[in-house]
Amino acid sequence: MNTVFTSIRRTPYQSIAATLVLFLTLFLSLAILFSLTFLYGLLGYVETRPQVTVYFKAQTPENSIFQLRDELTATGKVLSTKYISKNEAFSIYKESNKDNPLLLEMVSSDILPPSLEINAKKPTYLPELAEQLKKNPNVDEVNFQKVIIDRLLTLTDIIRKISFVFFSFLIFTTIIILITIMHFKVALKREEIELSRLLGAGSFYIQRPFLLEAGFFGIASALISFSIFSGILLYLNPFISSYIRGISNLSINFLDVYQLSVWPLNPTFLGILFTIVALFGIIISTIASLLATQKYIK
Amino acid sequence: MIRFENVSKKYPLGNSALDDVSFNVENNEFVFLVGPSGAGKTSILKILMHEMVPTSGKVVIDNEDVSAKNFHDVPRLRRKIGFVFQDFKIIPDKNVFENIALSLQVVGAPMGQIKKAVQETLELVNLPGKAHVFPIQLSAGELQRVAIARAIIGNRSHILADEPTGNLDPKTTWEIMRIFKKLEDKKTIIIATHNTDIVNSLKKRVIVMKDGKIVADKKKGGYDL
Repeated sequence: MNTVFTSIRRTPYQSIAATLVLFLTLFLSLAILFSLTFLYGLLGYVETRPQVTVYFKAQTPENSIFQLRDELTATGKVLSTKYISKNEAFSIYKESNKDNPLLLEMVSSDILPPSLEINAKKPTYLPELAEQLKKNPNVDEVNFQKVIIDRLLTLTDIIRKISFVFFSFLIFTTIIILITIMHFKVALKREEIELSRLLGAGSFYIQRPFLLEAGFFGIASALISFSIFSGILLYLNPFISSYIRGISNLSINFLDVYQLSVWPLNPTFLGILFTIVALFGIIISTIASLLATQKYIK
Repeated sequence: MIRFENVSKKYPLGNSALDDVSFNVENNEFVFLVGPSGAGKTSILKILMHEMVPTSGKVVIDNEDVSAKNFHDVPRLRRKIGFVFQDFKIIPDKNVFENIALSLQVVGAPMGQIKKAVQETLELVNLPGKAHVFPIQLSAGELQRVAIARAIIGNRSHILADEPTGNLDPKTTWEIMRIFKKLEDKKTIIIATHNTDIVNSLKKRVIVMKDGKIVADKKKGGYDL
């Protein structure tokens, strides 16, 4: 580490420039990463809500409803269904309006329709399922959250595409700038490198101090950007909480193997964010360092 | 042992640095390479260091053909060789200890061993107590002694010196040569020089070069051109 600190002390401006460039990249990466995970969490949440609610005509016999439920399940596009009878609907109604006796007086279980809540395996199946339901003569009304899910899907897709393009440009620019900065540092040590080569130094011996320095810049930048980003998140916490009021937990699912909670903010999620951003910082600066020293080890 | 077998070095434009050069240097032998500028002395040293690859011929060091196309382990070769340059090549922002230690650091020696070896080598080159002095505080003679210390430290069996006294006054020149004399029979030493006094006085083997060719090779020779 002494070599790293000596090099930083001897080339302070290049070291600051490298740290700042990496900081900016990692900070923006954190913002993109957080936004995407948050949006995916939100999408996942919406997807777990009943996506289609089918209201049947009041006189529809239960076996017709169950027959339709079985037909839907047979399509392979339905994840789950839940039947809500007239009585259950009335219980829910009573619970929802327990503070309003007037509303309770006006409604009895006879006038509430039985319904079926349906979750599709993919949001894209929703319109198709809705169309199929509408054709059934017993169906009175079909409600589904197509608009919300469509907007969320479109937004997530746009952000993902923009992030990819922006991210690629950001990585490219950062690596180019870091190579230029590292070139300065390498050039300052050119004499020592040439001499070391003549004394029998291997390539790794030449590259090692630059790689260590790159790793240090990566970790330092990750720490700074993560600290500032966490501070901003904590500051915005009440605003975000009020914005998604009613949603107690957002999480993303990794191939049905691991469920990561992204909201409310928790140490595991923040730890994962830091690890990703630190690794990203180390990888970018290491690549830049390797490319910058390549010329001098040949 | 070093063996040059019909070694030639030609450049693309047709001029040649070496032309069919052959000679052997036994282990721990002391050899002067003499000749006018452009005779090929430095080319021989560069080929030994694998800084330059011959166009034809064979160069063998310790039974290994270092001129072969499939020879790639240049760092291992260079770890056998200590090189002394006319312009010293001392790193200005490292102190004497760090400059000499570099020679052992590149081979991955532990710090304890490096400290001990540097102290011993500083004694050998008459620079005790100068370990923590920076190059700017040293005279040319002292700088060359640091360079020699860097070249001889560790287990480097061959010492190559290219005009090691070229920038030094006569008194300092003799001080430097005395250091080389101390290493006689311990390491193979090849010194390329123009200095007639030294060559004539030491009565060592002299290989005389001219226009890329060996024109004389005498066991106890002098500077005869």
